[in-house]
Amino acid sequence: MDRLQEPIRRWQMRESPYWNPILETMPEEKLRRLQLEKFKRIVRWAYDRSPFYRRLYREAGLEPEDIKTFEDIRKVPKVDKDKLRESQQRGPFPYGDILAVPLEEVVEFRQTSGTTGVPVYQADTWADWEWWSECWAYILYAQGYRSTDRVFIPFGYNVFVAFWAGHYAAEKIGCEVVPGGVLDTEARVLKMKELRCTAFMATPTYVLGMAATAKEKLGFDPRDLGIKRITCAGEPGASIPTTKRRMEEAWGCPVYDHAGATEIGAWSYECTHQPGGLHVNEAFFLVEIEDLETGEIIEEPGRAGKMVITAFDRLAKPCIRFDSKDIIKWADHRCECGRTFRVIDGGVIGRADDITKVKGVLLAPTAIEEVVRAFPELSDEFEVIVSKRGDLDDILLKVELRPGLEAKKEELVERLKRELRLKTNLGYRIEVHPYGTLPRYEVKARRFKDLRKK
Amino acid sequence: MTKMEEERLRAIEAKIKGLRREAEELLALAEGIEAIRRNAERILASVKVLELNVCDPLSLED
Repeated sequence: MDRLQEPIRRWQMRESPYWNPILETMPEEKLRRLQLEKFKRIVRWAYDRSPFYRRLYREAGLEPEDIKTFEDIRKVPKVDKDKLRESQQRGPFPYGDILAVPLEEVVEFRQTSGTTGVPVYQADTWADWEWWSECWAYILYAQGYRSTDRVFIPFGYNVFVAFWAGHYAAEKIGCEVVPGGVLDTEARVLKMKELRCTAFMATPTYVLGMAATAKEKLGFDPRDLGIKRITCAGEPGASIPTTKRRMEEAWGCPVYDHAGATEIGAWSYECTHQPGGLHVNEAFFLVEIEDLETGEIIEEPGRAGKMVITAFDRLAKPCIRFDSKDIIKWADHRCECGRTFRVIDGGVIGRADDITKVKGVLLAPTAIEEVVRAFPELSDEFEVIVSKRGDLDDILLKVELRPGLEAKKEELVERLKRELRLKTNLGYRIEVHPYGTLPRYEVKARRFKDLRKK
Repeated sequence: MTKMEEERLRAIEAKIKGLRREAEELLALAEGIEAIRRNAERILASVKVLELNVCDPLSLED
């Protein structure tokens, strides 16, 4: 069947909008009971099989059977990246004594990027890997991927998990998957054109970079490719309204966000209703939001805090009450899609280790991105450098002006400063660079640099 | 959930349990034949995902 006849086929098939209506539309009260039962199960699993978790819980005086209610979950000690690295110092190599299965059952290796220190090595059994791709199947199905899609995956298939599980999930859904591994950006865009791909997955930075390559180097409008949907991960951009708009305008199709992590799994997704945030897959994960200062668990909508997350079904290297440092908040509305999985408003707003005090004011890099990307005169690239000038904090924002707009430079800088002050309560030095001179990134962009930490 | 839906889900659950039983029995018979053992293990990994999707929620009492 022609892959462009998707709407007709869907109508004929009367497809469900849900990958699994049993879980995705489960009444909230039942969902909470399911979470409690699954939480107890994974704690018991880890306690019985992982020396790291057994030691952690025994030191805290906790036995698995002590967990009887949701409130008891709060008593379970948290783990973080440092604790995972500490475990890696012990055997078995290279995962450490957190491992809850015999080493010979591990079939997949991945690692974190190491941008916040020594990389964390991730072990998965084949059952874990099936689970990973199942998590991604929830994501892709909710974003409208169907067996009629030809999906291009333009990333360097390597030790980073990135879109690996997205690849397998697309296959599971029945899509035709085109792996765009060791190709440069031009070749990837041309391959998508040649094969009339209908969807692709990339970081927001790369989604914009591919559009720029199509327009500026290959001489065609990416909207003419007929891409129907794009899934983003790796950076928060697809939940930042101005960045999302840029991507959607560039490609002429909806762009959906997803947040996940190597140590956790694929825990959240935006659906086709685009509710202004991400559904948490609450059947597979428990998300708790912790107040940054008091540590109190936040249940009410609109109050931001740090995410503490549990993956219920990941067995080789259990992830129980992991302090992810992601900043999130519950939305005050339900999504119209009918899923009972709660929504986090605005996706991942920032990271606790990125949100920093500058001149005494809390600054989130995503707030700067939101302002910069609202200026059509500016390119997609920018950099923020926080440093000390004498005793004072200084923020330098480097931006690129699109060609032919040099006459507007001064007026633009003034407007940009004004908008940034309104949004972040801070003053900035602005450097305007010629178009095409700031660094381009293919995977995760490192646009925010705090030199005061060195 | 209507009675008919519930009956259908219970039938699905029974099939999943049957799949697990069959795959485990296959695994027990597979000693010395890696081609059977490894493929039976893969089947069990898929069964596990079916259990997460269906059996776990059905195990909750109403």
